[in-house]
Formats: sequence, structure tokens, C-alpha cells
Amino acid sequence: MGAEEAWILAAVPAITFLVLAATGRYLPRQGDFIGILAAGAIFVLFFVVLADFLDLGEAAWPIVNNIAWTEIGEFELRMGILVDPITIVMLAVITTVAFMVNVFSVGYMKGEPRYWWYFAMLQLFVASMLLLVVADNLLLLYISWELVGLSSFVLIGHYWERRSAVEAAKKAFITTRVGDVGLLIGIILLWEATGTFNILEIIEAVEAGAVGEVRLFVTMMFIFLGAMGKSAQVPFHVWLPDAMEGPTPVSALIHAATMVVAGVYLVARLLPVFEVAEGALLVVTFVGLITALFSGVVAFAQTDIKKVLAYSTISQLGFMFVALGTGLVGVGMFHLFTHAFFKALLFLGAGSVIIGSHHHQEMGQLGGLWRKMPITAMTFLIGSLALAGLFPLAGFWSKDEILHAVDSHRGAWAYVLISVAAIMTAFYTTRLFIRTFLGQPQDAEIHSHTRETGPIMTLPLVFLAILSIIAGLVVFNGVGDAIGFPGGFPEFVFLHEPERFHVDWGLVGFSSALFVIGTFGAAWIYWRGRLDRATAAARWQPQLSEMVQRKFYFDDLYQFAIDRGVLGLSYLVSWFDRFAVNDTGVDGSANMTRYAGFVLKHVQTGRVPNYAMAIAVGVVALTLITLAVRN
Amino acid sequence: MTTEILWWIFAAAIVGTSAGVVLSGTVIHSAIFLILSLAGVGTMYLFLTIEFVALVQFLIYGGAVTVLILLALMLTRMGIGGRPEPVTGVQAPFGALVAGALMATLIGVAVSTAWPGDIGDSPAEVKIEQIGEILFQDFGAPFIILSALLLVAFIGAIVIARQEDGD
Amino acid sequence: MVPLENYLVLSGIIFSLGVYGVLARRNAVLVLMSIELMLNAVSLNFVAFAAYLDPDLITGVIVAIFVIAVAAAEVGLALAIVIRLFRNRSTANVDEAATLRW
Repeated sequence: MGAEEAWILAAVPAITFLVLAATGRYLPRQGDFIGILAAGAIFVLFFVVLADFLDLGEAAWPIVNNIAWTEIGEFELRMGILVDPITIVMLAVITTVAFMVNVFSVGYMKGEPRYWWYFAMLQLFVASMLLLVVADNLLLLYISWELVGLSSFVLIGHYWERRSAVEAAKKAFITTRVGDVGLLIGIILLWEATGTFNILEIIEAVEAGAVGEVRLFVTMMFIFLGAMGKSAQVPFHVWLPDAMEGPTPVSALIHAATMVVAGVYLVARLLPVFEVAEGALLVVTFVGLITALFSGVVAFAQTDIKKVLAYSTISQLGFMFVALGTGLVGVGMFHLFTHAFFKALLFLGAGSVIIGSHHHQEMGQLGGLWRKMPITAMTFLIGSLALAGLFPLAGFWSKDEILHAVDSHRGAWAYVLISVAAIMTAFYTTRLFIRTFLGQPQDAEIHSHTRETGPIMTLPLVFLAILSIIAGLVVFNGVGDAIGFPGGFPEFVFLHEPERFHVDWGLVGFSSALFVIGTFGAAWIYWRGRLDRATAAARWQPQLSEMVQRKFYFDDLYQFAIDRGVLGLSYLVSWFDRFAVNDTGVDGSANMTRYAGFVLKHVQTGRVPNYAMAIAVGVVALTLITLAVRN
Repeated sequence: MTTEILWWIFAAAIVGTSAGVVLSGTVIHSAIFLILSLAGVGTMYLFLTIEFVALVQFLIYGGAVTVLILLALMLTRMGIGGRPEPVTGVQAPFGALVAGALMATLIGVAVSTAWPGDIGDSPAEVKIEQIGEILFQDFGAPFIILSALLLVAFIGAIVIARQEDGD
Repeated sequence: MVPLENYLVLSGIIFSLGVYGVLARRNAVLVLMSIELMLNAVSLNFVAFAAYLDPDLITGVIVAIFVIAVAAAEVGLALAIVIRLFRNRSTANVDEAATLRW
């Protein structure tokens, strides 16, 4: 098996899904070991693919392998896989995090209902996500895009006994659906312009100038809509915080590391096309900036640990889009890579806290867990520091790269804004950590019952913590060379030409300063576990505080629009359906027929003379008509 | 000349008796008128010098059919006392209208059509041997079927009209 | 002799009278008699045509013979039905036999 058979990576979980869905209920331990086996298998197989990929050498990239699928008239549709450095990065992220999540879930989901179905759906999700990143044409990508959305929907609504979970699942699906429509329109527009669905052919055609400027811009905006939906950019971000209703390992896998980065992947994949479209990249940057700042602010006011992490994810996705907006695909993918590990770590850590404290996740009820859950606290600390950007953890390097890219390719305004966002990241992360793990316990009862969780949950935490520390070092050329890559990360993943990485110590200092401002600022407010300074700030500007707490009224706005707009329209349509279509059309025509029959039945008098009269009249009439016609 | 006058007399008689059939007050009177009308038509056949058909007409119509009718009248006790019947049913006016229209059409067509061929004013002579030949040679199969039909008809009549136990 | 039209007009008149009888009279046997009139008129018509237009083939005469035979059979059958009707309802009024209706 080699890079050309990379589709096997998607096939293994797909088959596992079928097996588990059909028989999982009846297997011993409800089949969770099969899930872990499958996840482990693809983790190993990834390295096989990687080795083969590196073996084939740079000249052979990207690796394509497709088969003729169908012919419609003159158009031939080919389906297959495309493996290039971007794909390799995504495969690494997906297989690693999926493996960790599968192992963690055994501990987390113990005793939960529908245990076997959960593992089955995890497999389906992994299969569709893997298919998405190896797809070589937009149709296949769209299919797996939808499948990923479906798995997310099912998994968010796993505890469907809870009304809030059902609503959250619906919200996620519907919000991303709006984006998906845009994506579909974009795909169709691209096909119309270039005559193909194949990504490489599209890039070629667009770079050769096949599409007009305005048209291309509009098309790419539609495609970006799809990315915005899946990657929870403003204004489509509303579903991600609600998606925290799902089990926490699901949040770690889907809503931190893999599904939400599908939008980032899409933009990265089509970045050559975005570059040709004038102004498209500017829009991407803009949206990313707004999202990063906006959700960073909202994260300040959240008290549920998972919600803080959700808004943090939204913010970090904004960072990734800002990076892609500069045209440097390597920078965006690098942040995707590091973020996956430490965000998954943070989410799994939150899951560990939830299990350890017996299902409590409000910061108002936690606090002082450092002594009770040391391993969780330690790994959570590492993850937090990585997120906040401490040198030399993973997050530092990727954030640094973004700052550098924005500085050199965009204007000072973007640089300032992204720096503010970076400070906010450090701030809310520190706030989260201090209030959860340090200081005085807010609720003595809960605190006394809290225990550290078992090794099946802490081991994945440790593994991801190690990755959070060292994953950033792949940016160095020496490290890259040592493990068989043609160089550091920017030399592996690039758009036009590889960039040799060099450390800009001024920038290192600057971003470390950002880290310090954010962290110490938060520490100063929250350290002693007393919230006086925070509540004082809130009372100083009550309306602002209210606005932040209500997430800038986005949810309220959407609900209003749905209540008035959508439901109003549906009342109208249902009225039309009831009166015009049903009563008049269907019932009306039936009644008309019945009435006609009622009237006409009186012809059957049963009296022979009447019938004889009818015959006679008919004969006479026909004769007269024939005579008239003849003459 | 004489034949013509005779013809006209008989024609008038036929019309009169036929009118009597349909306009008579009593059923028995109608039956009598029918016999006369049928006889009149039989003489028409004689005028056409096709004696065989006239013979058949007298025998069957005048003999069998009228007897049947009178028999039915007696069995259903309509002949007794000769009770007056209402001359017209419910749809008499409309029926008169239709019949009148039909008559007008038929007469109009008959008179206005240019009949083909070299017709003389007199009918041709038809020999009885000729009838027999054609009947049994060209129309042999219908003839046999006709006999089967007659058989079926009278069996059917027996079955319908017989008295069952309890009647 | 008389021309052909005379016979045709005569048979037309008889036929129309028969039609009137069928439509307007109430007694079943009377209706049957009117039907006999109609059949008669038709036979006359056919024979007239045969004699005047077609003396060699004389198809009309054959038809008339058949019509007479069939009419006889039919009247026998019809009268049997009338007798049965009378037995069931003790009336021979065609207007009364009206149960096969809506």
C-alpha cells in the first residue's frame, strides 16, 4: 500500500462503521475495541502512506489516482484521490486526534446510553473526513462535506433525550446548510466556467485566465460561504457554542480539530483560485479578523468551560483564515496543525474535569482542582500555554508565523488587530485555567467528590501534551530534514515557492510581549479566586457587559428573523396549501365530480319509454345531421 | 289504371288501420287494427308481384303473430271487458314531435333522392324459383342460423313464461 | 304502376306511426304491436327496393323473409316477458316497471 492507495484510509473506518452499526449492540463491550482497532490501524497506515509519499520524491507530487466514474453526454466524470503536502498535514491531524479521541471515549462514555452507536458514528465521521481531504474533485468533496455535517448532527444530538441537544443539533445542521448551499452554487459556477470538477484542472484553467474577474470573485465568494458555515465564521458561528451539547470527545474531534477546519482546508486547497480572483483574499482576511476579535471578546463572558473553548476555537479559526488571506498557505496550515493538537488536548482535558467532578462544567462551581486532578491540570496547563502562545510551545510558532505573514503581506491595520486578538487569546485562556484549576474551590461539596480520572483518559492527555510541546518545532528546516521531509514546514507546504524559515527575534520578542500582557492581565484580575475586579469591570459598563454576555445578540437576531420571516412565510404558504390546493383543487374537483354524477344519475329513470325516446331522438338527430353535412 | 286506383285505396286503408293501432282506445281494438294493417301490407306485396313474400306475410303475421298477441292479451286479462286505456302516456306530445320529424325526414329523403338505374314505373317480376335458389345457395348459412334462433327463442319463451311452484 | 317513391313514402308513414306508438303508449302489448308495425314497414321498404332497383339479385326479398321470421320469434319472446311481468306485478303498464333506476 502506498500513497496512491490513500483512499484505504477512508475505507477502513467506513467498513468499521457498517460493522458497528449492524452488530455493535450485540458485541461484547458493545464493540468499542473495534473502534479503537480501526482508529489505531489508520494511525499506523498514515505513516505507511507518509513514507511512500516522501519516498516518491518531490517531483511526483501531487499524487493522483482516479477512475472513470460515469459519462454524461460528452462530459466524463472521474473520481479519485489527490495526495499533496496539504493532504498529508490533514491526514496527520485527523488520524492522530481520532485515535486519541477513540481511546479517551472508552473512559468518558462509560455507562452512557447508545455506547455502540457513538463509536459507530465516530467511525463514519472519520471516514467522511478522510475522504474529504483526499478527494480530487469538488463533487466528491461536497459529498463528503455533507457526510461530515451529517455525522456532526448525529453526534451533537447523541443525548437526544435532552431537548437542548436536539435543538443544538438542528441549529448546527441548518446553519451549516446555509453555507453548504453557497458551496454548491460555487461548485456549479466553477464547473460552468471551467467545464470540470477536478481541482487540479480547475486551478489550471483559472490560472490560464479562463474566467472573467467579476465572475470569479462571485464564485469564490460562494465557495467561501461554504467555508464560513462549516468553520463557524461570523455570522455563521452561532452553531458551534451550542454544539457543546454533544459529548466532549466529540467536541474535541469534530469541533476543534477536524470538521471545523474543513473550511480552512477548502480555502487552502483552492487558494490558487482565490489568488486569481481580485479581492477574494481580502474578504477572507476581513472575515477572519472580525471573527477572531469578536469571539475573543465573547469568550471573556463565558462561564461554561466548554463554551470558552468553543469561542476560542472560533477565534483561532479566524486566525487561520487571516493567515490564508495573505496567500501563504503554509502559515495557515501550520496553525491548523498545531491548533488541532492543543485544542483537542484542552477539550479532552475539559472532558476529564467533567468526569472527575461528576458532570460539572461551570466555572462558578469549580476551582482549586489542581490538587485533586494533577495530571489533568498539568496537561491542561500545557495546552493553555500553547494556545496563549508561550515560547517555545507549538502555538507560539504558528501564531508567530501568522503575525509575520500579516506584517509582510497585509497592512499595519491587520497587524494591530491580530495582535489585539492574540492578547485576548492569552487573556481568556488564562482566565479559564485560573478559575478552573487554581484558587479556592467555589463549591466545597463538588470539590470534595472530585477525583482524578483513570489512565484511559489521562494517557491521551499526556500524549497530546507532548505533541503540543514539540509539534511546533517542525517549522525548523533542520528538524524537517531530520525526519525525512524536504525541509521545515513552510518548505513542505507552499503555494508558489518554498520559504526557508528563519527566526525573527524581534517578532519573537513582540509576540512574547503579547503573551505576557494577556496572561498577566488575566492573572491580576482572577488570581486570588476573587472576582471583585472582574465584577467591578462588568458593573462599570453594564450595557457593554450585557451585550458581550448575550453574544452580541446574534442568537436573538437569528431567532427573530426566523420567527418573523421564515415562520411568517410558512404560515402564508400553509394557508395557500390548505385553501387553494387542498380545498379548492383536490376537494373541489372531487366534489365537482360527485355533484356531476349526482345530477347525471337522474338520466337512469329505469323506465323503458324514456330510453326508447332517447333512442328515437338520437336516430332522428343523427339522420338530420348526416343530411345536413352531406349537403 | 285500375291497379293504381286499387293501390291508392289499399294504401289509404293501411295508413288508416295503422293509425288505428296506435291511437285506439282499447287494446283489443288495436289488435284488430293490427291484423288489418298486416293484411294490407301483404296485399302490397301482391301489388309488387312477389307472391311468396305475401304468402309468408299472411301466414306468419296474420296467423302466428296476431294469435300470439291475442293469446297474450287474454292471458293477462286485458282482453276481458275491453277496458279503455288512456290513449297517451306521459311523453305523448314529445313522442308525436319525434315521430313527426322522422316522418318528414323519411318522406323528404324518399321523394328528393334521384333513384339510380333505369327504373320503369312498374316493378319487375320475380319468380319463386329464383327466391328459392338464392335463399338456399347464397344465404344458406343465415337460413340455418335463423332456424337455430327460432329454436332458442321458443325455448326461451317457454322458460320465461312457465309457471313455477309457488306461482 | 306506381313509382317507387310511393312505396317508400307509405313505409315511412307506417314506420313513424309505429315510433309514435312505442313512445307514447303505456300498455306493453301495445308497444309490441307498434314494434311489429315498424318491422312491417321496414320489410315493405326492402321488398320495394328489391323489386324496383335490383330484380336479379333480389337481396331485399331475402332480407324481408328473414325479418319476418325474426320478428315472429321476437314477438313470442317479448310476449313471454310481458306475461311474466304481468304475473309479478299484475299490471302491464310500462311506466310501472321502473325499479332498475338510480
